[in-house]
Amino acid sequence: MHRLLARQIRQSTDESGKVDLTKLGELVSAAYEESDCDRRRTDRAIKLMIEELEQTHKRAEQDLGRAREFLDSIIENIPIAVFAKDAKDSRYILLNRAGEEYYGMPREEMLGKTPEQIFPDKIARVVNEQDRRVVDSGTPMFLEGHLLEVGVKGRDRLVNSRKLLIRDGGGAPQYLVGVIEDVTERIRNEARISHLAHHDALTDLPNRSAFNAALGERLEQAQEAATSFAVLSLDLDRFKEVNDVFGHPVGDMLMRAAADRLAAEADGAFVARIGGDEFMILMPDDISREDVLGLAERLVETIGTELEVDDYLPHVGLSVGIAFYPDDGVNAATLLANADSALYRAKREGRGRVRFFESEMDQELRDRRLLQHDLRQALELNQFLVYFQPQARVDGEVIGFEALLRWNHPTRGFVPPDQFIPLAEENGLIVEIGEWVLREACREAASWSRPLQVAVNLSPVQFQAGDLERSIHQILLETGLTPTRLEVEITEGVLIGDFNRALNLLRRLKALGVRIAMDDFGTGYSSLSYLQSFPFDKIKIDRGFISNLEATPQSAEIVRAVLSLAHALHIPVIAEGVETEAQRAFLAREACEEIQGYLVGRPDLIERYLDLVGVTVERRLYA
Amino acid sequence: MHIRYLHWNAAHGWRGAEALREPPQLVLYFGSREQLADGDRYRELRGLHPDSHVVGCSTGGQIHGDDICDDEIVAVAVRFAHTQVRLVQEVVESRDASRACGARLARQALSSDLAGLFVLSDGLAVNGGELLAGITEVLGPDLPVTGGLAGDGSQFAQTIVGADAEPSPNRVAAIAFYGASFRFAHGCAGGWDVFGPRRKVTKAQGSVVVELDGEPPLDLYTRYLGEEEAAAMPGSGLAFPLRIHDEAEPSRQIVRSVFAVDRNARTLTFAADIPEGCTAQLMRANFDSLAAGAGEAGRQARSALADEIAGDKLAILVSCTGRRRVMGQRTQDELDAVAAELGDDVVRIGFYSYGEIAPPAASGRCELHNQTMTVTVIAEAAA
Repeated sequence: MHRLLARQIRQSTDESGKVDLTKLGELVSAAYEESDCDRRRTDRAIKLMIEELEQTHKRAEQDLGRAREFLDSIIENIPIAVFAKDAKDSRYILLNRAGEEYYGMPREEMLGKTPEQIFPDKIARVVNEQDRRVVDSGTPMFLEGHLLEVGVKGRDRLVNSRKLLIRDGGGAPQYLVGVIEDVTERIRNEARISHLAHHDALTDLPNRSAFNAALGERLEQAQEAATSFAVLSLDLDRFKEVNDVFGHPVGDMLMRAAADRLAAEADGAFVARIGGDEFMILMPDDISREDVLGLAERLVETIGTELEVDDYLPHVGLSVGIAFYPDDGVNAATLLANADSALYRAKREGRGRVRFFESEMDQELRDRRLLQHDLRQALELNQFLVYFQPQARVDGEVIGFEALLRWNHPTRGFVPPDQFIPLAEENGLIVEIGEWVLREACREAASWSRPLQVAVNLSPVQFQAGDLERSIHQILLETGLTPTRLEVEITEGVLIGDFNRALNLLRRLKALGVRIAMDDFGTGYSSLSYLQSFPFDKIKIDRGFISNLEATPQSAEIVRAVLSLAHALHIPVIAEGVETEAQRAFLAREACEEIQGYLVGRPDLIERYLDLVGVTVERRLYA
Repeated sequence: MHIRYLHWNAAHGWRGAEALREPPQLVLYFGSREQLADGDRYRELRGLHPDSHVVGCSTGGQIHGDDICDDEIVAVAVRFAHTQVRLVQEVVESRDASRACGARLARQALSSDLAGLFVLSDGLAVNGGELLAGITEVLGPDLPVTGGLAGDGSQFAQTIVGADAEPSPNRVAAIAFYGASFRFAHGCAGGWDVFGPRRKVTKAQGSVVVELDGEPPLDLYTRYLGEEEAAAMPGSGLAFPLRIHDEAEPSRQIVRSVFAVDRNARTLTFAADIPEGCTAQLMRANFDSLAAGAGEAGRQARSALADEIAGDKLAILVSCTGRRRVMGQRTQDELDAVAAELGDDVVRIGFYSYGEIAPPAASGRCELHNQTMTVTVIAEAAA
């Protein structure tokens, strides 16, 4: 008996054992009702659950469909060719738009087909081989920067391609997925960037870093093979002037033309532009000194030939220094330094020349560097002095002094100005030194009782760099010297270059009250147009003419001519280097206004001339 | 430990076995709200046991032995040999105050020799989950706490608890047992299975679920119950409790059943908080699985009682009203299953509740359950 029924009978039985059938019936009926209710609830729950699960399934399918559409549209639109194949027979089952472009055919012509049915035999064989390799090994294949085997984009395209295997749930090969990326532009850009890094943008010649690399490589090879080779250091002469006179666009064109000529003439050698107007050439192995010299001379000649640039005919020259491996150096630094020494010598000897390195050049260069080093410290260590040389009327009356810079080095002694002033001009120290001389001279002159003139030389470099007008103004204010007592002496070098700027500056200096003298007249170009362009206060005839007065009749004629020209222009003249009474007499006869030289007095410390500048005036008159 | 069983019905009043030789420390009683509400039964028990703690609550049916009854009040008087008993109680003013109330209650009971706590709480005005959280906060996770939420048949109108006073709503009582001899064993199991798709709790506020998968939860229950049965919500909703998967605590087994309906908002209120964003799945059961679940609870409790015991053993069975509703006349099957596991030497009393309190088998921390059978066995060890 079911235990529920047993329980129901027990519940319907009274203490005497009598069963209440009505009560039993009710209990049994209620139990049926409960069972029915439970069954109905269960049935309903199962039915609803099935419905809900179906809905969930449908929703999941829709989600999956949307996800697939989403991925499809990404694959379809990426600019990289994507394909998928059946791993068993390499039949194409997917191809995106970039893939159609890559293969040059619509996907309908490819899908469902094997490589043999699509490509020429040779290509199909390669493709199949790759596919089998990926399927058999299970490892992906990567090919970088290779040429296209198939497709219509052109044989010169470079691609990165990869193929990988997708396995099914059981681990068996199912699909091959391929990706092909056109990297032609990227590789070209990389090459362009690399070219830019190793070439000079203006001339497209290799640059300094490329030259250094080539030299390093060459040294290694030469050491192994025991060969020799030459290194040429080249410098364009007067290129800076071309830039100044004609402007940078013309300078650039000239530079390109010069580079082309060098590269053409030195065909077979490694030609590099390593700086502004500097080039280096690395010659092939085992070329004789004569042949190197021959080439260098041809280079000088080809650059010396006028270049027609943009309707201008700027004229530049070329200086060349040559050093040989291994005779002149076995490492890059020495070879380059020695080629530079030879170049420096070539330039110093008058430009447009070719010089081989010689061992004393090395010493010379080292000396020069040492001198430059000392020069830098000279101002700080108070090694400079100002000497004063009297200037007098032609009758002997001292009217002023020229201030002259002297360098008294503790071990070198007095260093000649023609040795250290060009150096100071080269490294720009002249600006600072020149200012110091100006200040010293003005201070000294301001302390004199007699209002004598003081003349100070200005370097062309001072005109180009710094604010000369301001510094002179400042010094005059500082020292209290009347501006009219200061005379600055300039050479025509000041006016070559940026003529207008120099002229402007001279005018402003003159406006301060400062007098301007033209120094070294008669040497160089001595262009008369300079005299016309600016109202100089004085002309100084170069000492060379005066010392030759007695020896060569031409000198006397030149002095006469200069004097008559100056007088015609109402410009007073001072002659320097007057050492004899005869010279003074000549000048007096020719009505030269002023003289300077040993006859009047040597350059010396002002202490020696205290009597001339002081209260006691001693007049030394010459008959 | 000695137990005297008593029962009351309208025809005969209180009847019971032979009185205890010494006065009991504790009298425990369960009855329907209608039978207890006027306070007469309490006063009669108080008259019988003037020096005992008299504590009881309203139910969804009383259990005595293998029998389930609605028209009799069941009670036990317990005399402990060594165990100290203290009764603590609190009033919960609002659902929101449940956690604080739990903490206050626990603080009253707290002592170094506290060995177990049996809680009887209002089943509708209290957030059972929060109440337990408050208790655990104070007592720590290791002290065993069992008990149940008072019931109100299938009316869900009012539940009452009495603690040394006439039963009243909003009350929470706890019987605290002290001493080394006291033995407190428990078991808790359900027998429900999940079915159908997992659903997202898309909107919830505390224990009120506003949306399941973007749909009002009442609509889902109405579909599953049918219009006719749905009219009997929340009682009929007990047939389909919810299994809650909380991502924050994936190992926690949480079953929640409906105990209030807002037919305008079409929302459902559950016995404790349901976090928004968690996953919920409907559950169902059949007579056999529920009976087997109850048997499992009995087996757990029995096997936890390892020591040699002196005197009587009392099992307090707290089972969910929802189970009775599903099982109908078969409800007795689950009582039989518990009895079979516990053995004949254990006195069994209990009630059908709106929520069960016991640590689940997996973790020691006591929790509020729905749709389970929980068995608490009280005894004293042999000296």
